[in-house]
Amino acid sequence: MEIEVAQEKLAKALNNVSRIATGKVTLPVLNNVLIKVQDKKVSLITTNLDMATIDYLPVSSSKDGVVTVPARLLAEFVSNLPKSTPVKITSSDNKINIAAGKYSSLINGAPADDFPELPEINEKSAVIFKVGIEDFKNSANQVLVAASNDFNRPALTGIHFYTKNKILYLVSTDGYRLAKKVLVKDVKSEIKVTVPASSLQEVLRSIDDSMEEIELSFAEDLVRFRLGEVEIISKLIDAEYPDVDKLFSTNSEINFEADRDELLRVAKLASLFARHGANDAITCETNSENNTFSIHSIANEYGENDSIIETKIDKNGKISITSRYLIDALNNIDGKKVSLGFSEGVDKSTGLAYPLVLKNQKSDDYIHVVMPLSI
Amino acid sequence: MYNVWENTLAEIEQKISTSNFSTWFQDTSLISTDKGHIIIGVKNSFFIKQLRSKFLNIISEALTNNGVKVKDIEFEIQTKSKSKIRPREVTTSIDIKDRLASTKKAFKSTKSQTTGLNSKYTLDSFVVGSNNDLAVAAAKSIIEHPGTSYNPFFLYGGSGLGKTHLVQAIGNEIQKNHPDFKILYTPISDFYAEFVDYVLKGKGKDFNNKFRSLDVLIIDDFQLIVNKEKSQEEFFNIFNTLHQLDKQIIVTSDRLPSQIKTVDERLANRLTWAGAFDLQLPKFEDKCAILRAKADLDGAEIEDEAIEYIAENVNTNIRDLESELSTILLMSDVRGLTPLELINNGSIKVTRNAKLKPTTAKRIVEKVSKYYQLNPNELKSKSRVANIKTARQIAMYLLHEELSMSTTKIATEVGVKDHTTVLHGINKIKNDLKLNFTLRDQIAEIKEKIYD
Repeated sequence: MEIEVAQEKLAKALNNVSRIATGKVTLPVLNNVLIKVQDKKVSLITTNLDMATIDYLPVSSSKDGVVTVPARLLAEFVSNLPKSTPVKITSSDNKINIAAGKYSSLINGAPADDFPELPEINEKSAVIFKVGIEDFKNSANQVLVAASNDFNRPALTGIHFYTKNKILYLVSTDGYRLAKKVLVKDVKSEIKVTVPASSLQEVLRSIDDSMEEIELSFAEDLVRFRLGEVEIISKLIDAEYPDVDKLFSTNSEINFEADRDELLRVAKLASLFARHGANDAITCETNSENNTFSIHSIANEYGENDSIIETKIDKNGKISITSRYLIDALNNIDGKKVSLGFSEGVDKSTGLAYPLVLKNQKSDDYIHVVMPLSI
Repeated sequence: MYNVWENTLAEIEQKISTSNFSTWFQDTSLISTDKGHIIIGVKNSFFIKQLRSKFLNIISEALTNNGVKVKDIEFEIQTKSKSKIRPREVTTSIDIKDRLASTKKAFKSTKSQTTGLNSKYTLDSFVVGSNNDLAVAAAKSIIEHPGTSYNPFFLYGGSGLGKTHLVQAIGNEIQKNHPDFKILYTPISDFYAEFVDYVLKGKGKDFNNKFRSLDVLIIDDFQLIVNKEKSQEEFFNIFNTLHQLDKQIIVTSDRLPSQIKTVDERLANRLTWAGAFDLQLPKFEDKCAILRAKADLDGAEIEDEAIEYIAENVNTNIRDLESELSTILLMSDVRGLTPLELINNGSIKVTRNAKLKPTTAKRIVEKVSKYYQLNPNELKSKSRVANIKTARQIAMYLLHEELSMSTTKIATEVGVKDHTTVLHGINKIKNDLKLNFTLRDQIAEIKEKIYD
């Protein structure tokens, strides 16, 4: 095998694929990157058996062959080479020789046969969506914030992709809050799968400015993301996702609007004093006589905070929530104005207290729901 | 049970590298072997591709060696929501099948419709040892004079220690002596289900009558009585009626009634009126006796050393003991080697709570102190504060049980002057253990930490 490629391109591709070659698994060859050259197509492949990253590398010249070497070592070596020098990699036996100008080194690898073969997406049965890369990136980020990292409930560690009334939604919840975003309107196929949040984060890390569109293909227990020269294949989470539409009621009795940045500032101020107990609780109150929305927080040792926003209020009410959740929600809502809503008391159909519902005042595409604390 | 897949895996493990084995074969299972169409369950698609391209021949060979006919092998993604499916029907080659059939014959269900008793449970097949002799003596007395001395008969002990076997045997023997007796064996859950059923049909009274006409009532798994006040009251009424008429009542549970939170105090008291009998974990000699009896019953030949090996390595319960024995006997038939040869060449590994790592006195004292959030020096001090004292006694008990240390030596380890103090401490914990389940759990937890 032989390839010749610009340092920047190689370094970028190697950095991208080597992230998942972490060696957490028992098989040493999974620390390696597989470099495969076939008909002038060069691919760099890594996998951790939950997901795989494939980076197609544009090269100036090549000879066919396969070799596998430790991914981190190669990535670090290449990224420290001088910029814009051509790098030449040649393989003999299970070793590779890297040469760039005055620098050269020999890296020991393993037989390419040891590297696991990757599963393939069944193109015929796959459900495929194409989304603009910016839309995808924003949407994924907006829901990733509410995903759980509690592996006792595997379903909640993923982002749920599901279609309802021809709309493709992304949903995440950790049981205390929920984020739901419209990804594509008017889709034809139906789908109901859960993608591991870690895989989705890996996809987001692989995005760069040159990319325009991302293709998502779902088949059986796999999903494949294609973006630019990168392909990421991941398993899906094999656990029932809760019916979130039934879980959280989003009809509120008390509704009002606020300037997003002002509310965010007030929430951050209040959070400084919201450190008593484990929940970082702040108490929000609406007052229809003065038309104010106030946030109150108290830290026994340090003092307390009362912040007020003036806005039109039609009904009095009170709700306690975790300050960090409010800040996360506001950080992820775009637009200048946010509309908020909540109700007092308990929803009889679910037996749960009514949550705080936040969304962009102009659009229903993204909603963020925060469950109240009982104080 | 005869677990083909575990044996197949053991064989594969010897052929490929450990890293390959633990990566690719962990979490696999054998879903079906129907007519040579093998289906193997795996975690996700990443595994299918690799197993198919690299390990197909090895799997097929290992399965064939274990007596499974292989035509083709398919892989299936095993979803977690489906619990792991064990092979339902293993089509083994003919001679094994015959062997299976002959050993299985004895176990053919012989459950009686009217009494709920299964005639396979007899007193003769119940191996008596120091772990259960009291309970068996009581059982014999009940069989001779039902409804008199031990009424109610309350039997408790962990799962797999033979509670169901013993009470069913009592039922069967009474039936033999008094064919006209009305006997009913029912798990408490079925009792509820039936009660609810009758009430729904508006025939609550019939339910009463049905039970009140019984001569012997056997209730199994009483600990499952949960928060069902109405049916508990019903049970209490039936209990009282039968008891007043001197009808025999037999109840089993995995713990004492006073330890079951949901049980009404009055009921709890009455259940243990005539005392509570427990079945304990068998000691080494008892385990050997059980295995020998079981092997003789099957007409199988097995060396004493092999029996000792199994007895030493199974520390959970009698059910596991018997299942390990069956596995080894079947393996020995399949491979044509004697059980001891199999054990010696490493084809069989008995892993039920396999032999614990050796531990030290220091470690025991350390872990006990840590568990009770004490400093080891505090534990060794002369303090008479209750919690420190208990911790010290538990340490003594564990040193005695786990390391068989002499009481004099234990005295120096825990900083007391006199070996009689140690003796007292050990006996106190032993006695407390019989009644105090919290303590039992705590000690189990500490043990786990010690051997962790």
